[in-house]
Amino acid sequence: MTAPPLVEQQDLAPGPRGGARRRPVARRRDHLVAWLLIAPALAYFLVFLLYPALSALYYSFTDWNLRSEASWVGLANYTDLLFDDVKYPHFWKSVGVTLQYTLLSVPMTLVAAMVQALLLNAIRRGSNLFRLLLFLPVVTAEAAVGAIWRWLYDPQYGLINSALGLFGIPGQNWLNTPELVIPALAFIATWQCGISMIIYLAGLKGIPGSIQEAAIIDGAGPWQRFWRVTFPMLRPTTFYLVVTGVIAALQVFGLVYVIFSGSGRSVTGGPEQSGLTYVLHLYLFAFRYDAMGAACAMSFILLVFIMIVTALQFRFLKREAA
Amino acid sequence: MTTGRKVSIYVALVLLAAVSVVPFLWMLATSFKHGPDIYTKVPNLLPVDRKTGEWAATLENYDYVLGVGGLGSAFVTSVWVCAILVPAKLLIDALAAYAFARIPFPGRDKLFVIMLAGMMVPTITLLVPRIHVTQALGMFDSGWGLIIPNVASVLDIFLLRQFFLSIPGELEEAALIDGAGRMQIFWRIVLPLSKPVLAVVTITSFLFHWNDLVWPLVVTNDPELYTLPLALQQLVASPDGGRAYYIMAGATLAVLPVIVVLLIFQRRILQGIAFTGLKG
Repeated sequence: MTAPPLVEQQDLAPGPRGGARRRPVARRRDHLVAWLLIAPALAYFLVFLLYPALSALYYSFTDWNLRSEASWVGLANYTDLLFDDVKYPHFWKSVGVTLQYTLLSVPMTLVAAMVQALLLNAIRRGSNLFRLLLFLPVVTAEAAVGAIWRWLYDPQYGLINSALGLFGIPGQNWLNTPELVIPALAFIATWQCGISMIIYLAGLKGIPGSIQEAAIIDGAGPWQRFWRVTFPMLRPTTFYLVVTGVIAALQVFGLVYVIFSGSGRSVTGGPEQSGLTYVLHLYLFAFRYDAMGAACAMSFILLVFIMIVTALQFRFLKREAA
Repeated sequence: MTTGRKVSIYVALVLLAAVSVVPFLWMLATSFKHGPDIYTKVPNLLPVDRKTGEWAATLENYDYVLGVGGLGSAFVTSVWVCAILVPAKLLIDALAAYAFARIPFPGRDKLFVIMLAGMMVPTITLLVPRIHVTQALGMFDSGWGLIIPNVASVLDIFLLRQFFLSIPGELEEAALIDGAGRMQIFWRIVLPLSKPVLAVVTITSFLFHWNDLVWPLVVTNDPELYTLPLALQQLVASPDGGRAYYIMAGATLAVLPVIVVLLIFQRRILQGIAFTGLKG
């Protein structure tokens, strides 16, 4: 993502060019207009972004629910979350689930996106149609995705088990077997790899044809060309997709909420909490157990974790990507 | 490229496209089936009778979810929320973006950078206090609560500003010299020149809010205010959750408008994603 630099601007001031010579009245009126234009967005920013961000930090140091006043407890929420496995028995479980999901879903998504992009880039006729079909899962509401995949994974009548049956693979109870929950969720994420595919495709179009031709003349086969030319040239794209993909995967929520909602019981995060992702855990504490202070602390632990992971990726992956 | 390679590429693409699309076809087929017809050993991608194998489509599942299932009123809610929210958000963002792009005033660029920094805070961190703010403003569990807390987007302001900056300034300058006001210039010159970016921002914003589950989930209690994704989730969580023919009818209602939008605006959506790399 390259954005034009922030400083390079074409300001337009009333009167002849050169702001200094403008009449002060006109200039002041202009400032007023600018503030009026920005006012609604600025009000939104202050009320729904800045204030919530700061107050989330404050509340993370308090014992608070939506019905009572917050009382200051210092670091207790943080230490309890990290060390008190009686009060928060599933905290570390949810961390583990989320890490597993991230480590599985991000590579799977990127490989699938890369394969799709390479195939699309190799054809001319029909490429728009295929691109559209492959993109379809992305624009689908996560509530619908969850609903559809619950039915696809149905152990008795689901399409997935029937499809596996064609290859002689026995059907599984995907969403009710703890070891299979994460792979099943990661597969859904892979099914929705269309955004990464589009971005890879844009990256592929940006590789000059002359480089590929030179490689062909030098006698490089398709496999060599991919590993020696295409893949290295796409490294910045891959880096971007890994960073944004990890950030998104660490926050997965809506899909698991829908997948595991249901049939009489409340949301639990799947069999033996095998699908209890970090944000689902956070949501349950905030809106089921009414522990807003603890939920805010969880959200800051996540924020810090995301920042550390992102910084590490910049440190260790960026150098290779450059 | 040899013919053999070409054929294998197309075969691979057809297979991948099938993986992508078959779940939707199955959703559609299931939604038109009579209840018992969905329980067959070999899944059928057409709504046919489980014994005779003859065509047996029905609309009764849609009838049920639209009425008893509550998806009818949720559809209406989703429509009016998007119909108000998407244009209001576009207007607020475009006005701010124009000022940030074109009108110099002291502290402007600092303010813009501060707002951009706010984008880095994950939504989940903001969720709990946002609910608190919404309650304090008396908008919790109301139509306003679905709209106002979403009514601007720093990301969209950023995108619009970048586009406005790329428009050559001469036209606007000439208009200013001729005595046109800022608002006139904004409406008559800037907006008409910005149709591509306005389209991308409008479509992605529609897709995001039409599909959004999390905010309606936390801000509403009243079933009358449920949006389509939320009503669908509630249906999944209800005793009807095991009746796939109902659930798939509900999912179809949520998915179909989005597919129509994708088909109409595919070029703009895909271009927009390639430019910005955004989700929703």
